[in-house]
Amino acid sequence: MCEDGTPKSSRRSARLSSGASPDLKPPAPPKAPKLQPLSVEDLAFHGEPLSLDALIASFPARRIQILELISLLGPLDSPMMPLFVYGGASTGKTSVMLQIFRHLNRPFVYCSLITCYSPRILFESVLNQLLLHRACESSRYASAKRCERPSDFVNLLREALSNLVNTLKGDVKSETTKSKTSRVNGNMIYLIFDHVEVAREWDMSSSVVPLLLNLRQILNMPEVGLIFISRASLDTFHSDTGFAEPFQVYFPAYNEEELRSIFMRDRAKSKLYNAFLDLVLPPFYRTTRRVDELSTVFTPLFKKYCEPLDDLGTALSEEVKRKLFSHLQPYITKYMQTTFFPSEDLSNDKSAMKNEVVKKKIAAKKEASEEIGFHMSTSARYLLISAFLASRNPATLDGSLFDSTGGLDNRKRKRKASEKSMEKKETKEQELLMKGPGTFPLERLLAIYQCITSVIDYAAEYENADSMEAEGCNNALLPNIHLQLSSLCSANFISKGGSCPLEGSTRYRSTISEDMALKVARSLDFPLFKYMYRS
Amino acid sequence: MGAANVAEEAKRLLRTRITDPSFVFSFFSQNSNSNYSNLKYIISSSVTETCNNSALLMGPRGCGKIAILELVLEELMKEHPGMISVIKLNGLLHGDSKCAMKEIARQLCLEHELVFSKMASYDDNSTFLMSMLRECGLAHKTLVFVLDEFDLFTQGKQQLLYNLLDALQTLTSQAVVVGVSCRMDADQLLEKRVASRFSHRKLLFLHPSSEDLQRLTKHILQLSTDSGLPNDYVATFNTRLYKLLADEKFKGIIDTLAYVDATISHLLKFLFCAVSLLDSKSGILSLDIFKSALQRVQRQPKMESLKDCSILELYILVCIKRMEAKEQDTCNFNSMMKEYKSIHDTFQTSDYYARNVCLRAFEHLLDQHLLSFEDGKGHGQSTEFRPVKLLVTWPELHLALKSHRSCPTVLHKLMMDREG
Repeated sequence: MCEDGTPKSSRRSARLSSGASPDLKPPAPPKAPKLQPLSVEDLAFHGEPLSLDALIASFPARRIQILELISLLGPLDSPMMPLFVYGGASTGKTSVMLQIFRHLNRPFVYCSLITCYSPRILFESVLNQLLLHRACESSRYASAKRCERPSDFVNLLREALSNLVNTLKGDVKSETTKSKTSRVNGNMIYLIFDHVEVAREWDMSSSVVPLLLNLRQILNMPEVGLIFISRASLDTFHSDTGFAEPFQVYFPAYNEEELRSIFMRDRAKSKLYNAFLDLVLPPFYRTTRRVDELSTVFTPLFKKYCEPLDDLGTALSEEVKRKLFSHLQPYITKYMQTTFFPSEDLSNDKSAMKNEVVKKKIAAKKEASEEIGFHMSTSARYLLISAFLASRNPATLDGSLFDSTGGLDNRKRKRKASEKSMEKKETKEQELLMKGPGTFPLERLLAIYQCITSVIDYAAEYENADSMEAEGCNNALLPNIHLQLSSLCSANFISKGGSCPLEGSTRYRSTISEDMALKVARSLDFPLFKYMYRS
Repeated sequence: MGAANVAEEAKRLLRTRITDPSFVFSFFSQNSNSNYSNLKYIISSSVTETCNNSALLMGPRGCGKIAILELVLEELMKEHPGMISVIKLNGLLHGDSKCAMKEIARQLCLEHELVFSKMASYDDNSTFLMSMLRECGLAHKTLVFVLDEFDLFTQGKQQLLYNLLDALQTLTSQAVVVGVSCRMDADQLLEKRVASRFSHRKLLFLHPSSEDLQRLTKHILQLSTDSGLPNDYVATFNTRLYKLLADEKFKGIIDTLAYVDATISHLLKFLFCAVSLLDSKSGILSLDIFKSALQRVQRQPKMESLKDCSILELYILVCIKRMEAKEQDTCNFNSMMKEYKSIHDTFQTSDYYARNVCLRAFEHLLDQHLLSFEDGKGHGQSTEFRPVKLLVTWPELHLALKSHRSCPTVLHKLMMDREG
């Protein structure tokens, strides 16, 4: 590492390139277009300025919050307290904040703690923007400065900010003939940190969250404004010794009228859409108030709504509205029970001539929905089913379910159990279902796997096989078990727990749902129901 | 100057004052028996009598410890120019002793225009510090070490603290170590050998009284004639301000503010909000401005989240509350769905939704922190099986249901059932 800390990655040459003969010239890389170096003006929005009325019009229900934020940001060059903007998801916090800065035309630095997912990336991203650094191919897209520790970050930040502020002050004083739109307003720089709530989950959270929230005290520069955007309110940020509380601004969730004005924003003249919203908004509003979830559902519903209409410009009389409503009604009930798009329903197809094609399509669709949707080897499927059974059934039941030959135990029960013990058994079974899948050690999984696979009829697959070969094939599956298990673990079908110091071995848990297990079993023609503890 | 410009200029001036700690806390420097004068005496005696000293400033956040320390240092640097050199460390950033020693070396090099090498090891920096202390002692220059977040330096082996306080014991050095902490038991955290070298001088910074808060408000808000604003505006502003300050209702507002949090930073947030609400046409403060500022500063996040819930989410909350009332030990999503189904069967509500829609609403509640998981990381279990607990109380839920616009009567009935 050289003096100023820029990283130099050493490059290992591949054998091919080092062994290449010298007369073969590698093809010249295409010339990258020369990019202009960044300047302070790039820290603000370019292009058309945005007036206050246009800003308020583009956010239908956020007038109060916009005016509050503008008054808190204050007139030009006035220092501010750190702001903490919080509210539910998709309430418009980030977009309102950024558009306010476009309206005010002040320089800012934005970084989201979701894209900058570790402290080092966060520090380097902020410094890159402040140092007006453009990542280019020649330096392998490296950051301007390497920064891992908070102490280095604060020192570099202070340096970068004071340089930038001096540039801004110098710009104001110098007599330039630049037009007003290309210059940024003011001497202050604003740092916007978005999604601050994810920093609570970081490993270094005990120092990153207080660092960010105490940044104003640490920096002690009045020309810097700090803005934090978060989905969670400030009282969910727990800290041992606390932090200086910023000023909180709340973005409430939208109510029904506001949602209507948001959805009608670009379609103010559409009476059709208005009638559509009358039908769908009240029922869906009862389940969720988030704009993103509602719009996911409304887009396909509106297509369905417009289906009976031959001409979208027809006048809406009561009769037309009733017809559209009756057409839409079953779809509304169907979509209410889903969170994403439901599968296409072709049963309402009008044309009778296409019946056979339709029936085939329905059958094909049904099969498709019954399939797993991705490829798994046979041994992996059996392993998955064994894991599901091991998690589902209590260990004490294994002896009675699987007899010594590995098949299902079909002994007749000797006595009929009494009413009360049946009830008790039922409640216990229900409780077990509530608690979720249980854990099992590796040995139990292998035992169940062997029991299940020992009854597989291999003779049908291998025409010339005798019993010895069949057994050999069975045994050939075993060495791959650990590989299969680890790939199932990394696909999150089986989760691996920590090892218990008393028992010694690691315990696993199956995380697939009953539907998925049934699908897998159906693909193997395996009677899963008979083996489950309570079907 | 147009009226809007005057108001804007006044806003800018007041905001600069509020966000400037040295202006705010200069109010406290006039009192003779205050922390300011004690601290000044401690540090100045070290300068004039060439002795070593250490002190600990303790008090809740926002009571002005660092601000008053800065004021004292500024004053002393004016009185004794060139004889004081300040080194600032922060426990959040430099809690690790290697890091701290590097920072000390960096600041010393910066101050005395020496070349700083990033590659120096801990021992190198340590010997450098010792030799600097000796040199400064010989030159009768005092080094002041300011350790912010002092309690974070006491984690681990306290190597830095021991080295610093040990260095103070030698005759040749002339240094002051001032620790600043928001924990009132910061001195109990010191190890035995470190505590024996510490002078145990403690200065407590406590909340100001209500009258002090009123006087501080006046000190911050009153405009003086040499502030660059037109004189008639200043006169109207000040008369209006004095009238407000004498008003009983205003005193009531300040008292309400102080009930919750009597620190100065809370008052400053309130004043900041009030100043930003200043009307751009008249530019005069009024009681309404202060009332709306009070509302904005005092927040109830749980009530806000509850008001934002959709009807399905309210159902889920009421179900879990009922299960709590039945004293079921653990409840998770599955048991909540069972309760939800039983409510639907009993009351035949129209709000019976599928499992995944309920799961989505459940996850919304988890994001809003109205519910939280009881186990720490979950050990890989999915959301449906992990036990949850409710983070709102009966009265809050009741209030939320009452104030919710389209809350179904079923939920009200269910809430009443519990009280019966």
